[in-house]
Amino acid sequence: MTSAVKIKNLHKSFGSLKVLRGIDLDVAQGEVVCILGASGSGKSTLLRCINQLSIPDEGTVYINGDPIGNLLSETGELKKANQTTLASQRSRIGYVFQQFNLWPHRTVLGNVIEALKIVKKMNNADAEKIAIDRITEVGLLDWKDEYPDTLSGGQQQRVAIARMLAMEPEVMLFDEPTSALDPERVGEVIEVMKELAEKGHTMIIATHELNFGRDTADRAIFIDEGVIVEQASAQEFFSHPKSERLQSFLKRMSM
Amino acid sequence: MEFEFRFDIVWNNLPLLLEGVQTTILLSLLTMVLGTIIGLFVAIVRLRVRKIFALPLVVYVEVFRGTPGLIQIVWIYYCLPILTGLQLDALTSLVIAMALNVGSYLSEVFRAGIQGVSKGHIEAAAAVGFKPGQIIRRVIVPQAAYRMIPAIGNVFVSAIKLSSLCSVLGMAELMYQGQIIIANFFRPIEVFTVVAVIYLIMAYTTSLFMMYLEWKFAWIRRKKVPFWQKFKQISKTSFQIKPQGNL
Ligand SMILES: Nc1ncnc2c1ncn2[C@@H]1O[C@H](COP(=O)(O)OP(=O)(O)OP(=O)(O)O)[C@@H](O)[C@H]1O
Ligand SMILES: [Mg+2]
Repeated sequence: MTSAVKIKNLHKSFGSLKVLRGIDLDVAQGEVVCILGASGSGKSTLLRCINQLSIPDEGTVYINGDPIGNLLSETGELKKANQTTLASQRSRIGYVFQQFNLWPHRTVLGNVIEALKIVKKMNNADAEKIAIDRITEVGLLDWKDEYPDTLSGGQQQRVAIARMLAMEPEVMLFDEPTSALDPERVGEVIEVMKELAEKGHTMIIATHELNFGRDTADRAIFIDEGVIVEQASAQEFFSHPKSERLQSFLKRMSM
Repeated sequence: MEFEFRFDIVWNNLPLLLEGVQTTILLSLLTMVLGTIIGLFVAIVRLRVRKIFALPLVVYVEVFRGTPGLIQIVWIYYCLPILTGLQLDALTSLVIAMALNVGSYLSEVFRAGIQGVSKGHIEAAAAVGFKPGQIIRRVIVPQAAYRMIPAIGNVFVSAIKLSSLCSVLGMAELMYQGQIIIANFFRPIEVFTVVAVIYLIMAYTTSLFMMYLEWKFAWIRRKKVPFWQKFKQISKTSFQIKPQGNL
């Protein structure tokens, strides 16, 4: 079976700052992978390179065998994809941002329905039906006509998750989805993500929530200085870290 | 000797003033339309090309924002035909001059408005699969336009007042007509008072219209607020000294 996500030799620099220096990663269908690393280690950059919000300098990302940001020509060569192709490839990848990034000029329902109408070209009735289902799933049906700025951070992040779910993405990327939340709001978002993991979605999650990683992830990886330093099943990773760098990182994080 | 106000002189010459009002409205509207086009063009080009290629536009904006409108109008009125070899009628060259002035201010308003749209909102749209054109139409324009309305209103109001400078070049707009009446009857106070009130009415109508647009496009209407409430709220805040909008 092809990997849900396959990352080959990914490199990314900003000016002289080499953030990613050759990342290789395979994520199986339905696997939940959590990415750990110090602040500035390149977790966001890695996720952004997967859906090409940042364009990698080198290396390729495949989603279910299709190279993202590229087209496979008949001769088997990679050709840079145009904007239309890239857009439709991105619609297959869900992305949840640290800062939610809901559109402030649309209601909760408007936020969730938008891409169904614009990207999937659904009619209003079909789109609304799906959107309502997803909003119900994250427990915000009563709020569907509110504008985002009237919601708490946790509620906004759940709307952002509903917006992503509505597109039925093949892979879901989460970039520190709980880092911008008040502590008492973290739980409700984690709850929703746990349900998604149980339903068998393929998820890659950058997070600082060690407990969540240990309980929910199948595998954890540790990034430092632009490479994957260590990876193991979540159990192994958190209870028996091998490298010294991961050991001291986990120590610092759990203090 | 008691000073006696002679507003009857103004009333008797009201038709003359109203003719001027028509010309003022024409000048102002044409200036707003052309100025908006220029402003949009300059803003978009400045956001899209490298700094070095945008340099001429930066110079344009700074020159027109940093010099007196009167000099701009007189200069373009006399020099545009010399420089271009075109014989333009007075209305055309005056509108061009004022539109260049208004466009320089509007370009800054538009630029700030477009830049003010959060990068995250744009990335969220890209991430669900919007194409660049769809991002512009569905995310950038609605947010930027709404936030820019008060600032655009300010520029439009000053465009109306700017048009009064055209009197210097013999354009028979409101200010010019007023001066004609003054020259005939030597009643500057009365005439200028009425002329000022007419400008105020035009400016306030413009402001009201912009307020209406702001109300109409407000996406944050928690409860459906009727326009007059919005009006009350805005007229309250406009007495506080602070810049309008988020620009
Ligand atoms: N667009 C950019 N331009 C320049 N430098 C950038 C850009 N994006 C990220 N960086 C830099 O790349 C490095 C990695 O950033 P990244 O956001 O991927 O780290 P992170 O692991 O997600 O950190 P955090 O835990 O703080 O979110 C940082 O040093 C950051 O300053
Ligand atoms: Mg990050």
